[in-house]
Amino acid sequence: MYRWLDDRLSIGKLYAKAFRKAFPVHHSFFLGEITLFSFITLVLTGIFLTLNYEPSIRPVSGPLSGGQEVPAAYYSILYIDSLPFGAVIRSLHHWAAHIMIAAAFLHMLRIHLTGAYKNPRELNWIVGVFLLVLAILTAFTGYALPFDNYALTATKIGYEIGAAAPWVGKLLSDILFAGELSPTNTQTIPRLYSIHVLWLPLTLIALISLHLVIMIKQKHTQPRYAEKVAPGKIVGVPLFPQQAAMMGILFLVYIGATTFIAGAFLAHPVEAFGPPTANTPAVKPDWYFLWIYGILQIIPANWRFEFLGATFGPQFWGGILVPTLIILGALAIPFLDYSKEKQRYLELPSRHPFRTSFVIGVLMFYIMSTLAGYKVDLGLSNELLWVLVLVVPVVTGVVSYILIKAIYGKEWNQEVQVELRGKGPATD
Amino acid sequence: MYRNDTVVPYFALVFSAALFLTAYLNDRFRVVHEAGAVPHLTVGNIGLMAFALVLFVYGFIGLLSNWLEGSELRPGRHEPEPSSLPMVAGVVLSLLLVMLSGFFVRTLIFANNPEIGYYNATTLQAGVFGAMMFILALLIAIYKKFFIEEEVLAEDEKGDFPW
Ligand code: HEM
Repeated sequence: MYRWLDDRLSIGKLYAKAFRKAFPVHHSFFLGEITLFSFITLVLTGIFLTLNYEPSIRPVSGPLSGGQEVPAAYYSILYIDSLPFGAVIRSLHHWAAHIMIAAAFLHMLRIHLTGAYKNPRELNWIVGVFLLVLAILTAFTGYALPFDNYALTATKIGYEIGAAAPWVGKLLSDILFAGELSPTNTQTIPRLYSIHVLWLPLTLIALISLHLVIMIKQKHTQPRYAEKVAPGKIVGVPLFPQQAAMMGILFLVYIGATTFIAGAFLAHPVEAFGPPTANTPAVKPDWYFLWIYGILQIIPANWRFEFLGATFGPQFWGGILVPTLIILGALAIPFLDYSKEKQRYLELPSRHPFRTSFVIGVLMFYIMSTLAGYKVDLGLSNELLWVLVLVVPVVTGVVSYILIKAIYGKEWNQEVQVELRGKGPATD
Repeated sequence: MYRNDTVVPYFALVFSAALFLTAYLNDRFRVVHEAGAVPHLTVGNIGLMAFALVLFVYGFIGLLSNWLEGSELRPGRHEPEPSSLPMVAGVVLSLLLVMLSGFFVRTLIFANNPEIGYYNATTLQAGVFGAMMFILALLIAIYKKFFIEEEVLAEDEKGDFPW
């Protein structure tokens, strides 16, 4: 059998080349893999959902809705939840989306903190930024599909922000939502469905493949001890069997932990808010949009002017300008901190105090703007929130910079000499 | 950061526990909206728990990687040291896996019963399924640690794969 396949496809060569590719070992590399496995989980659970979901809002009734007339999409969610293990699979799909975004964000932080974005990996950093944006957009387009009152209201916040983009906003949101987002627009759900299950996942698959191929071609950064063990070489374990075994273990641990949480805490039970009604419940957008929502809460309503027929109001400043500037800033990072030398090894975050305290400041900005999303609930004043959003991140950044420099004294900007600790001799 | 250390994974596990606890102790942990009797998580708590889950999985696999792969690699082949204890553990875990899979099927049959209104005991189903996945992960880990010959490569930086 092996001989037969080898004659036709030279699988022996494939084994020698692909399966014996060396993978450096470091715990921080698992963050990218967790993001990847979240995506795979989303595809697998998503296939199950598509088999049972009906993308339509035609009114239907049946035993699951207690004879009450509800939109077909809503009814099909009740049906999925009633299938054996169906509720857990749907909840797992929902949790995996949140986890993918959180993991991609932490993966990006690790790339930033260890300097892995530098020459030659600028391109992969850029692909990564687009991946994060695309993952968020995919999650957003899936949110309204159950068509309950909660999802519809939460999606509306995003819809209004998108529509506030000058000149093109209306057109873009018309394309995405097939017209106005409302409980009666019959075209919206089929449109969102096609985008959510087909176009965005296909684009994600293409971009993730590109991301991984670039990573394999450029070789992974390595922990610095490898420089002493075998200078100029990639020290790692072969893809098969060792790396594959680690990936298998990680996937199983990931599925085990997330399924348990998904079953114990069902995400988004549609019965909590019921099908869309005339009154809109007080809801907040998902946590990854909460910081934008927070900024919208503190921008005064009178910051508004007209220019060439377009309105520039709070939704433009908070919902479009600030995120666009942050994305452009992220794209620029590898070019602002450019190194002529090829980056081969992970850098120690504590020896790069400016970069590290910058990251801490940015994290503080997200935390504070998320807090602003709770302005009404916590009764916080606008003045206080402006100070928290603008001043606290800067102060945190400066203080951590001073602290890191003070702790590491004269050697604060030098990489530390590595002493080998592992067993066995180093080879040249 | 200079080697496959355990400091960051340990910290991730502690941080994960702190985030879970913050979400759990939040008095708005499970909100019951007036319109329905079904409780649901708030967006803030879902966010805290999503980060907690990533950090948990990361911390766990980080520590496991240190145990299975060590903190530094040395090129060459390294023979495993099989002994009877991992063998016994493997057999016990496999039996447990078979038992749990039978139990899991029972939970599915139970849920597929029209007389009780197709009720899904989601925590139980997911708990059993999650435990099965953990056991499978442990089985692979034991097999890797005690039965696979470890090989460490020192590959040329200018390797021509994939082109
Ligand atoms: C959203 C989906 C993403 C997936 C599935 C993904 C997947 C991966 C994987 C599996 C790796 C190799 C393991 C590792 O270093 O962690 C990797 C490496 C990398 N990723 Fe991502 N990633 C994603 C997003 C991002 C983002 C948002 C960025 C940064 C803006 C990024 C930048 C990079 C870079 C520069 C590398 C090479 C790291 C090195 O050589 O040390 N990725 N990615």
